[in-house]
Amino acid sequence: MPPGTAPIGGRAGATVAMGVLLAALVVFPVLRLGAVVWTEGADVAGILGSPGVLTAVRNTVVLAAAVTVAALPIGVGTALVLRRPDLPGRAFWQIAVLLPVLVPDFVLGYSWTQAYARAGFTDAVLGLHWAGLLGPAGVWLVLVVNAAPLVYLVVAVGLAARAEPDLERAARASGAGSATALLTVTLRLALPAVAAAGVLVFVLTLGTFAIPQVLGAPAGFDTVTTRIYADLSLGGDPALFLEAVTLALLLVLVAAACVAPADALLGPRLRSTRPADAQGTAAAPGRRDVRRAQALGLAGYLALTLALPLAALLLSSVTRALGVPPTPGNWGLDHFRSVLTPRTGEALGRSVGLAVVTATLLVVLGGLVAVLERRRGGRTTATLVTLTLVLPGTTLAVALLIAYGRWLSGTLILILLAYLAKLWAFAHRSIAGALDRLPPDELRAARAGGAGPITAVRTVALRPLAPALLGAWLVCFLTALHEVTMSSLLYGAGSETLAVVVLNSQELGRIGPTAALSVVLFLLVAVPALILWWVIGRLAPRRAAGLPGGATRAA
Amino acid sequence: MPPDPALEVVDLEVAYDGTPALRGVSLTVAPGEVLALLGPSGSGKSTLLHAVAGFLVPSAGSVRLGGTEVTGGRRIVPPERRDVGVVFQNYALWPHLSALDTVAYPARRRGAGRTQARSEARAILERLRIASLADRRPAELSGGEQQRVGLARALARRPSLYLFDEPTAHLDTHVRGVFLDELWARRRDSGAAAVYATHDAEEALGLADRVALLSEGRLLQVGTPQQVYAEPVDLFAARLTGPASVIDAPDGGGPVLVRPGWACLGGPLEAEVRAVWFRGPHSDYLAETPLGQLLVREPGPPRHPVGARVGWTLLQSWPLGASST
Amino acid sequence: MCVVLLVLAACGGTDADAGADGEQPEPITLYTCLSDESIQPVLAAFEESEGGAPVDLFRAPTGELNARVAADVRSGGLQADVFWGCDPLTVQALVASDLVGGWTPPEADAIPEEFRTLDSVGGHVLYLVAVHSTDVPAPQEWSDLAASGAVAVPDPSVAVPDPSVAASALGALGWFASSPDYGVDFYRDLESAGAVQVSTPDDVTTGVAQGVYDAGMTTAQSAYAAKEAGSPVDVAWPEPGAVAVHGPVALAADSADSATAKAFFSFVLSEEGQTVLGESGSYPTRPGVPGPTVPDGAPTVSPDWAAIGQDRDAILSEYQQVFGG
Repeated sequence: MPPGTAPIGGRAGATVAMGVLLAALVVFPVLRLGAVVWTEGADVAGILGSPGVLTAVRNTVVLAAAVTVAALPIGVGTALVLRRPDLPGRAFWQIAVLLPVLVPDFVLGYSWTQAYARAGFTDAVLGLHWAGLLGPAGVWLVLVVNAAPLVYLVVAVGLAARAEPDLERAARASGAGSATALLTVTLRLALPAVAAAGVLVFVLTLGTFAIPQVLGAPAGFDTVTTRIYADLSLGGDPALFLEAVTLALLLVLVAAACVAPADALLGPRLRSTRPADAQGTAAAPGRRDVRRAQALGLAGYLALTLALPLAALLLSSVTRALGVPPTPGNWGLDHFRSVLTPRTGEALGRSVGLAVVTATLLVVLGGLVAVLERRRGGRTTATLVTLTLVLPGTTLAVALLIAYGRWLSGTLILILLAYLAKLWAFAHRSIAGALDRLPPDELRAARAGGAGPITAVRTVALRPLAPALLGAWLVCFLTALHEVTMSSLLYGAGSETLAVVVLNSQELGRIGPTAALSVVLFLLVAVPALILWWVIGRLAPRRAAGLPGGATRAA
Repeated sequence: MPPDPALEVVDLEVAYDGTPALRGVSLTVAPGEVLALLGPSGSGKSTLLHAVAGFLVPSAGSVRLGGTEVTGGRRIVPPERRDVGVVFQNYALWPHLSALDTVAYPARRRGAGRTQARSEARAILERLRIASLADRRPAELSGGEQQRVGLARALARRPSLYLFDEPTAHLDTHVRGVFLDELWARRRDSGAAAVYATHDAEEALGLADRVALLSEGRLLQVGTPQQVYAEPVDLFAARLTGPASVIDAPDGGGPVLVRPGWACLGGPLEAEVRAVWFRGPHSDYLAETPLGQLLVREPGPPRHPVGARVGWTLLQSWPLGASST
Repeated sequence: MCVVLLVLAACGGTDADAGADGEQPEPITLYTCLSDESIQPVLAAFEESEGGAPVDLFRAPTGELNARVAADVRSGGLQADVFWGCDPLTVQALVASDLVGGWTPPEADAIPEEFRTLDSVGGHVLYLVAVHSTDVPAPQEWSDLAASGAVAVPDPSVAVPDPSVAASALGALGWFASSPDYGVDFYRDLESAGAVQVSTPDDVTTGVAQGVYDAGMTTAQSAYAAKEAGSPVDVAWPEPGAVAVHGPVALAADSADSATAKAFFSFVLSEEGQTVLGESGSYPTRPGVPGPTVPDGAPTVSPDWAAIGQDRDAILSEYQQVFGG
């Protein structure tokens, strides 16, 4: 066996199968979009040169850059604070900072307007509101809040994998204070992870739609995605449809231009051979009052960015009508009744089933790509999967309809394909990170012990990978469960998902039912998330937190 | 007035998640003295070093370095303000720095300019005869080279106490010899004290002025290498410091400890050879005697086959007293 | 000739009315942007009516509806048998692409002329009215909204929906722009009086209900819904009239032979269909059929949709010089 080859799975066969699947899910639909622009003679130069489009493109790029610049320090800071074992309430904070991931982003956008916009919660209680919320500044801030947990996740994994406590201890013992050690060692080691997180946030922000639509569009702040939406909304004009497709392809190109070099540059540096259960811990004890201040800072941040908006949202969902004081006398469950109809139950079953299948397939596919990626040539596939992340849901759905609608229009299979294409990158990236940290010797030992390739993975790799696999499963399941954009375009008779049924019963835009829907979705998502989190916690190997030198204490 | 000890640890207690790792450890290291911490893995050696270096907060007890309390009560001096240099088991070299910059790091932290820190570092690398590695990063260094860079970094700190956390555990025999020779040479001209954690008895006995035996977070015995070897407090301590047999005393005085060199073949007592190992300079015999099984070491190649009946003489023994179990 | 080609194309396509002679009629597919609460009762009533059949529904906001149609066209043709849009422009574009149209049922004669063409007939109608806070007097004329200082509040006090997002807002823009008494200057006056543009009519209602704005232009349906829910708002139908934006129904060109599709089209326009629609909260187009609240003698006006369709870009760009864009 040539050195560097992981003894897992088949050889060329698997690579080819993956390639075919990727081509079917990602490459072919995107190329079909390109063909539409080409064959129907879209005036690409004219579209890209029009002032409105130029403004939208500039807004999008500046916004993505600004969100990245702000989300990175917050996410990195959170990761650094949360690796201190002596942080008061650490386990709680580790879950709490991830909550924004559980909130569908249009819910987050709405909840902020309910909390801080004019006539929102703070306006009602304190007479204070933030006029800038509806506009670029508000879009930026809420996107930052939304993106920071992703940065935290990526950087925390990177820190655990690369910033061994001994490296920082060595710096401290060489005379570096905690701040100097942080700058000269910890952050330097986390740099590839930070850069990877930055690329991810940038690309995701390019393709984000719900928050700019909720907060930016009312103030006339156009991004490429809201522009695409507006193009599709006006009157079925073929020229506008072509403009929408051209803009979507532009996003894909920009994303590819960012992701491909980043993957090529950063990929090898994110590798490490630390044990999969290695945990980032702090090198030296800090001062108790500093820890307390950090915990307080976290609490304040989460209260303002998440707890208050969600509370305001809850209040709106039980308040009978807009403009009446949100006092108990005006409370009622009418909005919930309008959201929870008998048809919702049926759709709920369908949505849960779809989400389970999506998440399970994605974990398997994500794992396979991650394994392939360890071999030569695999990196391209990993980059490819990321491209669908940036495609706005509407456009990806249109691409899939054009590619496969002839046979699959209106079926659940088409929705499933859309979910797979959209979420693959999520599953893949988190699994790849964990797999990288699995020492190859463990698998070799299993093979040497007589296990076949699959048995080796099952018996040796599965257990240490379980938290990562479950985590990836969870993210995919949750996202698929509350997905709206693509399913509302792809569904047909008998394939309505929960979000479709709920959104169809009311026009989106009425705050009461929307708030109720958001609360229902949040609970639907948060409850299984917390249960699974608990399971993951149980499955994760018990860590001897704070053990010096990462040394294992043999009995 | 005698000078303050380089290190004074009193009643140190450390626990991880409620599991005690150190239980009331007290010891002293004189200026210039080398103390070996000998114990099996998990006995608390690393924990003790980490408490001395300031990497963790003990739940009780105090640590004084050169007469200054650095841990005790509510007072915790951070690692960078303790006068110690640390050499790590896994080298702990920073992957993004060259050997030269790694060794220059402590001087930079002292406030030296880049040029001066580098020239100091180069001098240290030259003294350790690894100046040729100056521009390499850890990934381009072998284990032995990495550990010598690690040692150079600790030297650059110019501390009055070195802490070695099993520095040779990951090195193969030959490289380990080179590293230990280097260490021995440095020891002479630095004049600093050192605590050297290891699970290797030969290393501990050969390197240290005194040896501290550690087991399950407790100190079993502290003494000169000769003391801990010849007069172990119990069987466990004896096994830590090297091979030993326990037989009934020929004069009927209860069990006694016999080191391999404390008996020789030929003599009045009877035995049968059960196994023979050729060790190069000497050979080891496992002899079945009426008093029990005995390991005997003789110079030269094996002279008796397995199964041969031989005579033997007991030269020396150590009674396992009331403290033994 | 065009019609002949279409019929031939449909014959070549087979499918369609395979169930016309069977017991169980084939279900037809309806694309619409009407909300479920409006459309479901109509579908249920049709299925139970004479010659009725099950209807597979695809319901989406106009943007998604257009995207779905565009994708259908590029993957084997429009999947819908009947299309029921929320604004005439969307349907005009589909007619222009020969996707729908070419037939209207005899029932169409009962529908006012301004709501129908040779290819489509209005099935429901939206009225753009003024919604205002109960704290301010009701605007008597549209121009009252632009009267600066009419409402003594320092913050922006009037909201208008964005015509580049909502087709109903575009209809209103088209009507005002072509009206000699108003013109695009009306929007200029609104802007200089501190009016702001929000995204959709629903957003206008929300803002006024929450007290963010004092008044605004929105759909009668959403304004009355907010009022009935208890929000402190009222609804005014200002002179010269609420702008009527009808939602045309059209037969898909590929379904020109589908008896069921035609039956559904007729049913929607029939007295029975319009009554069901009126009861479920939408405004019917058929005169005399009871619908939601319309005050006695409330004036309405209808834009010239054909003109708006042609001049859209010019009107929009003129408008966007006023309201950013």
